[in-house]
Amino acid sequence: MTVQTETKTVDNGVNVEALLGAKAAISEAPAAGQFTWRARCTWMNGAHSRSTVEGFFGLGEEQDRKAPHVIEADHPEQFAATDKGATPVELVLSGLASCLSAGVAAVAQHRGIQLKSVRATIEGDMDMAGILGIDADVRNGFSAIRISFDIDADAAPEELAALVAQSQKRSAVFDIITNPTNVHVTVA
Amino acid sequence: MRAVTAIIVGAGQAGLATSRALSDRGVDHLVLDRGAVGNAWRSQRWDSLRLLTPNWSNGLPGASYRGAEPDGFMPVSKLLMQLETYAWRFGVPVQGQTAVLRVRRADSGYHVDTSQGPFHCEALVMAGGACARPNVPALSIAASSAVFQTTPAAYKRPNDLPEGGVLVVGASASGAQLARELQLSGRQVTLATGWHTRLPRSYRGRDVEWWLDVIGLMDERFDEVDDLERARRTPSPQLIGGQEPVDLNALQALGVEVVGKLADVRDCQALFSGGLANACAAADLKMHRLLDAVDAWVVERGLESALPPPDRPAATRLPPSPVLKRSLTDGDIRSILWATGYRPDFSWLDVPVFDARGRLRHHGGVVSAPGLYAMGLTFMRRRRSHQISGVGADASELADHLLGHLDSRRAA
Repeated sequence: MTVQTETKTVDNGVNVEALLGAKAAISEAPAAGQFTWRARCTWMNGAHSRSTVEGFFGLGEEQDRKAPHVIEADHPEQFAATDKGATPVELVLSGLASCLSAGVAAVAQHRGIQLKSVRATIEGDMDMAGILGIDADVRNGFSAIRISFDIDADAAPEELAALVAQSQKRSAVFDIITNPTNVHVTVA
Repeated sequence: MRAVTAIIVGAGQAGLATSRALSDRGVDHLVLDRGAVGNAWRSQRWDSLRLLTPNWSNGLPGASYRGAEPDGFMPVSKLLMQLETYAWRFGVPVQGQTAVLRVRRADSGYHVDTSQGPFHCEALVMAGGACARPNVPALSIAASSAVFQTTPAAYKRPNDLPEGGVLVVGASASGAQLARELQLSGRQVTLATGWHTRLPRSYRGRDVEWWLDVIGLMDERFDEVDDLERARRTPSPQLIGGQEPVDLNALQALGVEVVGKLADVRDCQALFSGGLANACAAADLKMHRLLDAVDAWVVERGLESALPPPDRPAATRLPPSPVLKRSLTDGDIRSILWATGYRPDFSWLDVPVFDARGRLRHHGGVVSAPGLYAMGLTFMRRRRSHQISGVGADASELADHLLGHLDSRRAA
């Protein structure tokens, strides 16, 4: 697979060889492709909570990071809360935008397209009548999500549209949001 | 026990073409079929089905189309006559009503158990093709008690289904055609649409199959494409054997409701993916990429003025908020048609030639056990392998390989 055009080296900061190597390795040994991601969440006060992500399981064993990542979540002051972090639903939107942006970079690298900038704006519509229990016919979650990409790159508009389409096709978060998942909640 | 040099399993187009190729090389053989010539076409296809490919493209080796309608699309009954005539004309040694029950290695070749007794052969060609049995996802179990369920292999005509709404799962060739037929029968159709292939029936005044042919796409070889796995997974196009459009715009104009891929059946509710817009955008992009290649071919040959200008289909239109779920118990949906593809059937093959996911390990039809071959699989040796026009060249190449196998064994 080529990552170079005839005239210049494309560098979107994505190691395509490593990704293709991982694809080949996991095709050979499917067990290595079984991953488990996790986060630990501690309630602080009110709507404020603090999540930590650190280790995960993958490539057949427990994996570590150099340092943990901490994510604060809260509700805004308009909800009589302390606004010490984004709301969980905004974290979901940010997760989708991040996942698709990373996908755009990877696909662009693979296709030899140099990106100059990628900006995504994402919005989710929600009717509070759902979570407040006012109307049982209104769902709690988003009624619609819109994401708009503004991409500056040396490529034709159709190539950019294809980048964004392919990044959705391979996106974990896009799949998580568009398809149902069984969720098991237990109390220790 | 009967001994024969080679056995071909399946007397469809792939089996008949292979028989001809073996006869040409003087290899004595038998063609076994559980029914008669063209069994799957005869017993597992619906009444209105016509071939997707125009008549001119449906010749078999040594028997190109000579009828009066080269640009027409033949019904299955016509194809069956063509296959029967072919078998008779070339003296294909077909033994019908012989179901293969089990095949295992024997010291010098293969032991073949059939409903008509055992056979022994030195080489075996599995010519049951890519569409031997319908592929039905496990979701059908969750939906089992709520509604009537069927597949394109069992469905014959709209009256086979109860009155009322139909959920057609899958928007490839079978799903798109049957969604149209069922909607026109007065049943409200909901079409669950995942990744699909959109093609116009004609472009710049020529049938799309003609374009695929002349630009060389159908003859692309399995050892030449970038990603063979992906090429083999390409869904069949939203086309019908005729001029009626069956893309999502045309189906919606007839009243078909288009929804996302069926993601799950839970509590008697069908849940659809919210990714429909991207599946449609991707299909439109791929269609335009193919038509770009056609236009480039036209320009390269200086034929622009000789042909009508590009007539690109309109972008796929979707409702602003496609439906995400449908009850299977409130009476709106009375039946489900699983148009979720076909698979080859090697359930009788007791030889360790399958990968971890149960798929046959083969290199262009040469299976990873000596003297064992497949025919008619999707993109087996070239993009047209699974089509009627594709079996001739594949059969000829595999027959050469088979002859080499026999020679090397006999020399040893």
